[in-house]
Amino acid sequence: MTLSVSDLRVERAGRIILHPTSLDIEPGARIGLVGSSGSGKSTLGHALIDDLQRQGRVVAQVPQSPDEALDPLRTMAFHWREAEKALGLNHDKQRRQQLFSALRIEHGDLRKRPWGWSRGMQQRFVIAMALIGSPELIVLDEPTSALDPVVAADTMDLLDKFLSGRRTAMILITHDLGLAARRVSQLMVMDAGNIVENALTTDLLERPKTQAARALAAHRSWLELPC
Amino acid sequence: MTFAILGLVLRAAVVVTGAALLTFVLLWNAPGDPAMAIAQARYNFVVPTEVLEQVRAESGLDAGFWAAFKDWIGPLLVGDFGRSSVTGREVWPDLVTAIGYTVPLALMGLAIGLAIALPLAALAARNPGSVLDRVCVALASVGVAIPQYWLGLLLILLFAVHLGWLPAMGARSTANLVLPALTLGLGVAASLTRIIRSGILEARNQSFLPAIRRRGVSPSSIERDHVAPHAAIPVVTVLGLELAFLLEGVVVVEVIFGRPGLGGFLVTAIGARDFPKVQAVVLLTALLFVIINLLIDIFYQVLDPRIGEHDA
Ligand SMILES: Nc1ncnc2c1ncn2[C@@H]1O[C@H](COP(=O)(O)OP(=O)(O)OP(=O)(O)O)[C@@H](O)[C@H]1O
Ligand SMILES: [Mg+2]
Repeated sequence: MTLSVSDLRVERAGRIILHPTSLDIEPGARIGLVGSSGSGKSTLGHALIDDLQRQGRVVAQVPQSPDEALDPLRTMAFHWREAEKALGLNHDKQRRQQLFSALRIEHGDLRKRPWGWSRGMQQRFVIAMALIGSPELIVLDEPTSALDPVVAADTMDLLDKFLSGRRTAMILITHDLGLAARRVSQLMVMDAGNIVENALTTDLLERPKTQAARALAAHRSWLELPC
Repeated sequence: MTFAILGLVLRAAVVVTGAALLTFVLLWNAPGDPAMAIAQARYNFVVPTEVLEQVRAESGLDAGFWAAFKDWIGPLLVGDFGRSSVTGREVWPDLVTAIGYTVPLALMGLAIGLAIALPLAALAARNPGSVLDRVCVALASVGVAIPQYWLGLLLILLFAVHLGWLPAMGARSTANLVLPALTLGLGVAASLTRIIRSGILEARNQSFLPAIRRRGVSPSSIERDHVAPHAAIPVVTVLGLELAFLLEGVVVVEVIFGRPGLGGFLVTAIGARDFPKVQAVVLLTALLFVIINLLIDIFYQVLDPRIGEHDA
């Protein structure tokens, strides 16, 4: 079923940081949300999740860094169990095993706390946790910017593989057009709290219409990046 | 690990020895003749010079500082606190009796303080900046501002003299514990409330909480599982310091309420320059501080294992 939100709007400190925005997201969609720093990408991501959760839809979020997702005083096992409970699910070892091997963290020690794992593994754990409830949408906010390029590319490959053939839609927030171009079929460009362009990835990269999109596309070096 | 324990024991030894040496120096060099003070406390009238000299010799005061220090610390190393210079009675049993009065009072004070501070802080932190919050913080500030001797007298006036509900003086029954413990507790409750409140507010500000909320975890679970443990860290530190403050306050409170205990024990001992007694209290207090600090260190590592990890 299509996920839709209408007239999302965010105001902070008397300033509109997200102008009224409506979106429809089809099952299985792969959408990139790009734009310069401060253009309102994270704001839109959060507003989107909160609104859809209020509608009773199952959506999950992966923040930029594991520090923003995990409590350093709690063990990995605690986080996992907590996420299951929050979704009203019983503990299922098999499901955990399946997600862990999909993201190749099956050897991580669950009794440890987050800082007992490498950052790359922490981030994969957070992604695995986001997939527990087979969400209709997963919003990844610069999920790999805290990782080195090789680990980042690996992580995205694993996620891609897991999602392929599933109905879970993905929104990938990034200011890295190179990352977006390889992973998504549709690109939305944000500028000053507005979605200013929304097109197929190839079209947008070849014929950017707005100034914001042109500025992003002008950095052609993204083609050589590993992810 | 063994290295860490060794370090802690060494630190404890340095602190305790330092405290012992320092008090000995201070007592030794305090104005007035210690032999005179001891003799006066012993015989209760002005004594002739021969008696004074005899007291001086008996108490080991004529042999010089280091000899006296050695005389005291030697037996101590095998657990002998010595005898009172004034009464000649052994220090240890009297000290144990005094502790038996003081420790329940201090712990009861701390318990009352926590019982007042926890709900008050939780109430204040529920809606920061609101009228309720301001009232709670103001109440706490009043508690800090009131000196204990005045608060103690106020409580005696109200509950003992006016209402006649509770005894004012002595230590005959548990009822005697209520007013002094309340005096101590109100004092600590004040600062505890502020610390706990800001601990809760700070803990709620952590960067990972929005993500946990978006995972669908209920607000009450977040408070219990993520806010409370983080808020507990600063509170535990302060609790240790608070206990130190309590032991200090106990001396004043015991005197006000005419309770026997470490307060009276120390005050009379200092007046009479009863070296072994004063030293015993100082040593015990230093040891207590070291133990409290040690417990806090351990508790910290249980609460936040990152601390131990980074040290290693
Ligand atoms: N709590 C807030 N109060 C005031 N302004 C805010 C707040 N949160 C965000 N903003 C402002 O809203 C704008 C958009 O912020 P947002 O974090 O959504 O940008 P972004 O596109 O995600 O940037 P980045 O790529 O750096 O993550 C910024 O100008 C920011 O300063
Ligand atoms: Mg952002």
